[in-house]
Amino acid sequence: MSAVAGFVVGQRTSNGRDSFIWWDWITRRPDEIWQRTLEHVQMTVVAVGIGFVISMLLSVIAVRWRWTYGPITWVGNLLYTIPSLALFVVLIPFTGLGFVTAQIALVSYTILILVRTMVTGLDSIPPAVREAADALGYTRLRRMRSVDIPLAIPAIIAGIRIAAVTVIGLVTITALIGNGGYGAFINDGLNRRFPTPIILGASLSVLLALIVDSALVIIGRIATPWQRIAEQRFEAAGR
Amino acid sequence: MDLDTAAIALNNVTKRFSETGPAAVTELTLGVAESEIVAFVGPSGCGKTTTLRMINRLIEPTEGSIKVLGRDQDALPAHELRRSIGYVIQQIGLFPHHSIRRNIGAVPELLGWDRKRIDERCDELVELVSLDPSLLDRYPAELSGGQQQRVGVARALAADPPILLMDEPYSAVDPIVREHLQDELLTLQERVHKTIVIVTHDVDEAIRLADRVAIFNIGGIVEQYDRPAAILRAPANQFVASFLGRERGLRQLALLTVNDLTTIAGPTATLTTPVASARQLAAANRVSWVAIGEGQQLLGWVSLHEADARWPDGSGEQATVADLTLQDFVAVVRPDTPVREALDVIVTSSSQMAAVVDDDTFTGFITISQIAGGLD
Repeated sequence: MSAVAGFVVGQRTSNGRDSFIWWDWITRRPDEIWQRTLEHVQMTVVAVGIGFVISMLLSVIAVRWRWTYGPITWVGNLLYTIPSLALFVVLIPFTGLGFVTAQIALVSYTILILVRTMVTGLDSIPPAVREAADALGYTRLRRMRSVDIPLAIPAIIAGIRIAAVTVIGLVTITALIGNGGYGAFINDGLNRRFPTPIILGASLSVLLALIVDSALVIIGRIATPWQRIAEQRFEAAGR
Repeated sequence: MDLDTAAIALNNVTKRFSETGPAAVTELTLGVAESEIVAFVGPSGCGKTTTLRMINRLIEPTEGSIKVLGRDQDALPAHELRRSIGYVIQQIGLFPHHSIRRNIGAVPELLGWDRKRIDERCDELVELVSLDPSLLDRYPAELSGGQQQRVGVARALAADPPILLMDEPYSAVDPIVREHLQDELLTLQERVHKTIVIVTHDVDEAIRLADRVAIFNIGGIVEQYDRPAAILRAPANQFVASFLGRERGLRQLALLTVNDLTTIAGPTATLTTPVASARQLAAANRVSWVAIGEGQQLLGWVSLHEADARWPDGSGEQATVADLTLQDFVAVVRPDTPVREALDVIVTSSSQMAAVVDDDTFTGFITISQIAGGLD
């Protein structure tokens, strides 16, 4: 950020550009913007998708064998605290510059967030519902599939929202190793000391985060029709 | 009771939750006969719920064996055993994310019935538990507590299990709904003939519902196991007596019906009885009225205060009760009226007696003395 600040103050009118955002530069690149959007979305979806699958497995294990929860969150925490740049440095010799390295970093960030919310969700299922399911003759697996996980959907969606928004932000950093969707604009702007692409990349990634977050809220509502009814009843009772 | 023929047979069952602590259930041997309703009743911590939950293996016994329908309960995997045992709990535990239909159809779904058969069964069950069929497509959150309770019972009965276990099923609903649901259970039982074990801390509920009651003491010790009337009449020990409480006599009244009492003729006259004889009849019964009967019918009653007012000088000795105003008899009970209710009729009416009438046939009167006599 200091580079940006230095530029804004010191060299604002160099190259004859008199406005802070050069709109022409943006409007001349619809294809590139579209392509970066696809790339950004792809990076996010793949990272959250893989993170979701891994976390779901880890959460089910953590709930089934309680003692594993400590070690799982410990590892998750460790991954979460490693700075992304440091992780790249460590990984590049093994996985090279590119998609895989970027994904490893992104996925490892989602795990702590997702496992925590999923386990909380699975733990918050009313004991009576669980007892009823057991007493009716649900096997463990069946109960997990048709009672525990569906009831944890609100918590799971909440976790995915945080993970997705985090990943959308982090994807921009992976531009440093040759990926990165909107991050490529930011990188470009930083390299050329040219603010327009920086602002474009940053704004687009914020916009994308907002859109994805809202979309997840809507998906969550559609996936949990029973919740809406409970809320309505609650509101009606409050009136 | 013969454990070999019992639908549920607990043989010398002990449950310890920790190695060192006291046993929750101690060497319990108890049988529940087929199609019988048995209530486990006792103070909290007496092991009644633990015992219930051992029957469907939600809790595994530490020692002893439990047979269900003659079969060792661990002959099957726990989840298969449970599909043949209905289970209803206080908090009901309906699946909030499933429609009422799917909730009721849960066990048939586990058993792999096809959709059509499940739907038909759901339709039958809502009728059986007196639920409005339009509720089938709702979610549990949209139903009242009483309705959810009915769904809980329907869900437990869905796959027609021979056994039904109920853990404090009516504790969470208000007293009026509770009484209603208890009645419904009895009506339901007349149709389905299940072997039912119901855990409750409410003595009245146990007496009302059960064919036999097991009184539990701390540590899962059964102090007495017998028909409610027998327990009320002769508590086995001080614990049982104090658990039944001071209202033991009144509770007994709930079990008796008017039929169990001996009726008396009371001050019954006919329309042609002279007023003078009516006065003697009333005096003999220490009342100031006479009932007018004709054949097997009770026509009503007349007040002798009215006679006093009409003929203050003692004249009118030629008059008959037909000259007085005939009034309807209000304090009427039927042979199947519980004695507790009959007592209420007697103490709240000015006649001090209740007429026993069976489909228009008047069979006599009962007073507080007859009720006291019935308690022995």
